[in-house]
Amino acid sequence: MQRNPKDLPSVLAQKRRPAPDFILPLLPPYRAAWGETFRLADHLGKGPVVLNFWASWCYPACYEEAPVLEAFWRRHQGRVLLLGVNTQDKEEEALKFLAQFGLTFPQAYDPRGRVGVDYGLYGVPETFFIDQKGRVLARHAGAIDEATLERYLEEALR
Amino acid sequence: MRWVFLLFALLLPALAQEAPPPDLSPEVFRIARELRCPVCQGESAAESNSGVAQEMRRLIAEMLKEGKTKEEIKAFFVERYGEWILYAPPRRGVTLWVWVLPVLGLLLLGLGLSAYFRPRPLPPELLEEADRRMREPPS
Repeated sequence: MQRNPKDLPSVLAQKRRPAPDFILPLLPPYRAAWGETFRLADHLGKGPVVLNFWASWCYPACYEEAPVLEAFWRRHQGRVLLLGVNTQDKEEEALKFLAQFGLTFPQAYDPRGRVGVDYGLYGVPETFFIDQKGRVLARHAGAIDEATLERYLEEALR
Repeated sequence: MRWVFLLFALLLPALAQEAPPPDLSPEVFRIARELRCPVCQGESAAESNSGVAQEMRRLIAEMLKEGKTKEEIKAFFVERYGEWILYAPPRRGVTLWVWVLPVLGLLLLGLGLSAYFRPRPLPPELLEEADRRMREPPS
């Protein structure tokens, strides 16, 4: 009778719903390049978007995937937008995590986890793939690996 | 007089559990109790202290303030998480069986038991035999 929580379906991805919009402040190190706040709608329809929900207290999964995400961003920057959404975390701790991994892709700050509720988040880390039309293509729960990132990016670019 | 104290002492833990923190109305917890905490196992959004559950309670309080009904608030979460988020499975579709089967089972059990224990008339040959023995003096 036990179900794997990772198998729980995403309502958004199942029905290919439009990605719920949000406006979040960006963490200080990213403001120079991306502005004070990040509005998802400004970036939809221009190319695929990948949202990665994470927290510094999410050990080890978030720590495992951070270098993978950074490598993915460096490889595909320009073809895809990768946004980190720091969820239910303390800013200080989040900044320490970002410095530790030297993440260069933009990072939004959502201490309440309000955006997570809109995406039907079960936990962190979770990664959402948004296609070029701004619809949610897939959700991945748990630490993500390179192969999965590439596979969904191909799907989103199709 | 003593039993009043006893009753009070017995009820106190139950009352303490019911009382929500002062900043959120009891109505928030009534609704949260019907919603699953997404990151927990077997806990409702009312019981859990996880960040998500706290945010859910905050959202419920906000929506109540906006004048939304309980059904509208539950629909808000179903829209995002699917019906999985509801603590009680909906009474329709496949999950209707979850509600119907126990009742059906109990009904069948009751029928079986009553049939088993119902007083049955004795078979006629046995009655005849008894009758005969009563009339005939023992030899």
